[in-house]
Amino acid sequence: MKRLILTFLALFLIKGAAFAAIDWESKGMQMAGEIIANPAGFFYDFQQDLEATTPLPPGKSFGFQTGLFPTTIPMTYTNVSGKFRLHGEGRIAPGVPQLDLIGGYWDMLAAKMATKDSQTIDKAKFGGYYMGAIMSSSVSPRVRTFWGYKYSVLKAKLDFKPGKEPELLGTRVNSFDTGFKDDFFIAGIETPKGVSKLWSIQLNYGLKTQTFSSKVSWYGKYFELGLNIFPEGVLVFHPVWNFHLNF
Amino acid sequence: MKKIILSAFIAAGMAGRLCAAVAEDSKIFTPFFDMTLSEAAFLPSEGNIFSGGNINTQVGLLSKITQKDQIFGLYNFNYSGPGFTPQDSRQFTDRNMSHGFNIEYRRSITDRIRVRPGISLNKEFRRSGANEAWKNGLYNMNSSGGQLAVDYTFDEEKNGYVTLQYLGRVIKFPNYTDLLSEFQGSGSQGNIDGGLNDQTLGQVSLRPAWNKFFGGITYTSQNYKNQKVVLNTGVYGNTKQKDTDTMLDFGFHHSLWILELYPVVSYTMHSSNQNFMLYKFLGDTAPQFGEKYYDFKEMAFSVPLDLNITSKWAIGGAVSFTRRAYDKRTARDTTNNFTTTKQVNTMTTLTGSIRKRINEVAMVRLFGSLIVAGSNNKFEQYMPYSYTGNSFGIAYQLSY
Repeated sequence: MKRLILTFLALFLIKGAAFAAIDWESKGMQMAGEIIANPAGFFYDFQQDLEATTPLPPGKSFGFQTGLFPTTIPMTYTNVSGKFRLHGEGRIAPGVPQLDLIGGYWDMLAAKMATKDSQTIDKAKFGGYYMGAIMSSSVSPRVRTFWGYKYSVLKAKLDFKPGKEPELLGTRVNSFDTGFKDDFFIAGIETPKGVSKLWSIQLNYGLKTQTFSSKVSWYGKYFELGLNIFPEGVLVFHPVWNFHLNF
Repeated sequence: MKKIILSAFIAAGMAGRLCAAVAEDSKIFTPFFDMTLSEAAFLPSEGNIFSGGNINTQVGLLSKITQKDQIFGLYNFNYSGPGFTPQDSRQFTDRNMSHGFNIEYRRSITDRIRVRPGISLNKEFRRSGANEAWKNGLYNMNSSGGQLAVDYTFDEEKNGYVTLQYLGRVIKFPNYTDLLSEFQGSGSQGNIDGGLNDQTLGQVSLRPAWNKFFGGITYTSQNYKNQKVVLNTGVYGNTKQKDTDTMLDFGFHHSLWILELYPVVSYTMHSSNQNFMLYKFLGDTAPQFGEKYYDFKEMAFSVPLDLNITSKWAIGGAVSFTRRAYDKRTARDTTNNFTTTKQVNTMTTLTGSIRKRINEVAMVRLFGSLIVAGSNNKFEQYMPYSYTGNSFGIAYQLSY
């Protein structure tokens, strides 16, 4: 074992020779440019962090969820999501999947505060909602697949006071008024990790905008930990922490 | 060129996945789900850090109509993000996304022989580092077609079977155009050379498998509908472009004590009747001619090894190597002139990883790789040929 670890250490040490200096300033400029080019896309990625797109646990009728990180903190997305079970798996007839309705709403607290107190911001409105349905079916005692649809909407509007407009990458920004809406297809699979603990992986794909993400989640009775991956996003990795209660 | 070959092999690979799904005796419907996800940071020796990932999601349903008849439907979403790529293929920042739909009917003729006709639709989007909208990609591609496969089982105990398959595809590139022609043509309204890349593809493969050993021979033919072969006078002749690939491959997946080994080796012979004119600058009056510019032989092997330390944890390592030698293409010097030496590209990747099996259907892997790419082609204005790079990433797999 020790020999193996040493071998791998040697491999990683050799790798050092191949490193180039990372130009963080240039990388930051590139990311800022991507945000300016598509601000709605950037903010929508955070909306996906709070969207509750996994099915209710078997036996539960409804549930609530609120995103803690990175939505409430630090993005100040005050948010609430809900799930409601229309029917349980096999209740109507054997083999009929569980069907849940899902939905949620968020509003950015910082935008409201900025409008009230800021010397530079005249008006700001950041918010969004989503709604949809998730169908889930057990394929073995330990594996459940789920499929779903969601309609997501985001509105982002910001006006700067005349004479107080900031400069970004050499360009004066007066305001931006942008939005995002799309119909999403959801496919995922869920499997137990321990007692009352589940692990899931899912794909969310926007049919019109071709926005897509993968969500890897671990969840128990109260909390959900996740790693949301947005391969085409500005911030590719979003570590996620959500609180939920199911009844 | 590489992208077409890749698509063809993906088509063949999809067919393999279709074949892999097995109905459970007690069920009329058996779902199939496979999702792999990886994301990594890439640090090239020249240029800045960038990130890229891959997502492959397959969801399907196998319906058992009778004891002898089954229908299998499969949807496949694939995204391939920025990353280090073999020379002469694509730029690091290019990415592609595809949606594939396959429906296959399976009929057991006897206990040992099964036929599998099927149809397939595929829509692929390509995007460069310029971040153009997905729908505007120059190399966006739509394909449709069918397949006919016959499986013959010769050893039920050790899962020994041989598959003979033919698949055909009609491939269209709705946005592709000859940008140089459009630029040179006065008053061009754009897309005057649309359809240049449209083609038909046929593929025949014979693939035996036994006791977790597998291999085969695959012959692929691409016939371009409009693209003509360029002559040494710098104008297009009357002959249409035609490419063929012959690939031999062999591999296995075996465990010995705590060692889990799954090497694959392949050898590809690519042939094309297309030539190449090298213009060093716009308006070059003395372009250099490259005859049979795209013919090559490529050898590749990959040797991944996992050491299962416990039932959950494994340490892994992998070596992969690719060598492409062009038959007639000569390397270029730093000033973009052909030399007298045939071009040879090599690419070696060393990977170390730690794998955790979450349960019987899911696993996660942390990995780091060192890549060394070399070539005697010294002209690197558009594509890097000789470089080193590192990547670090995480990968998930969940399969049912």
